[in-house]
Amino acid sequence: MKFMLLICHDEQSWNSQTEDERHKIYAEYRQLIDDLKADNKYLFGDQLQPAATAQSVRVRNGEQLVTDGPFAETREQVGGFFMIEADSFDEAKSIAARIPSARTGTIEVRPVVAAQ
Amino acid sequence: MAKMKYMLLVYMDEQAMTDEERAHCYVESAQLTQTLHANGQYVAAGPLHSVSTATSVQVRDGKRLVTDGPFAETREQLGGYYVVEAKDLDEAIDIAQRVPPAKYGTIEIRPLMEIPGLPESN
Repeated sequence: MKFMLLICHDEQSWNSQTEDERHKIYAEYRQLIDDLKADNKYLFGDQLQPAATAQSVRVRNGEQLVTDGPFAETREQVGGFFMIEADSFDEAKSIAARIPSARTGTIEVRPVVAAQ
Repeated sequence: MAKMKYMLLVYMDEQAMTDEERAHCYVESAQLTQTLHANGQYVAAGPLHSVSTATSVQVRDGKRLVTDGPFAETREQLGGYYVVEAKDLDEAIDIAQRVPPAKYGTIEIRPLMEIPGLPESN
């Protein structure tokens, strides 16, 4: 089963870490991804640029409305995601708990609808 | 010409569509991905199951905390995603406004970061 793991974090906390601390966390991510790939669990993933770079697009009555910023001003914002294969929801949650940002933010676990 | 990658996060009030509208939306979305693929713009896409199936995981002081539901109780919730290649933000916006749920919800466009050392996506 495919799951999307949304990595949600407080951007200010992330930015207030030192360069060294951030490098350490990136190294943890690379190690985790290598481990998941070795187990055939990792499909793909990416880090997103900060919420300040977001543009939000709506179409209403045929008109395009574009606003700067994310769709909602929540304290935590989506900073990245993993797409994984797991045998169960429990396994997906266990993988989510290994993501470094789980220690300071929140990982939202969402099952993906199978292709029609 | 160098292309950039963008993620299109599809946010919607799940109550905003009838089942019939949702089924129609899936069909239109699949057609859009075919068009994007033909134009060399498609990287990945997928719908997510309802937010009622969401679980949120945090680790604090070495302990795992698992709660039912999404990380934030916003009116619009994440319903799907696209990852696309486009030459600039304007092209990404042009793609976003063609995503069928743009008529019901909000498509948040986020440029992706290049991180050295991450495995290549297939």
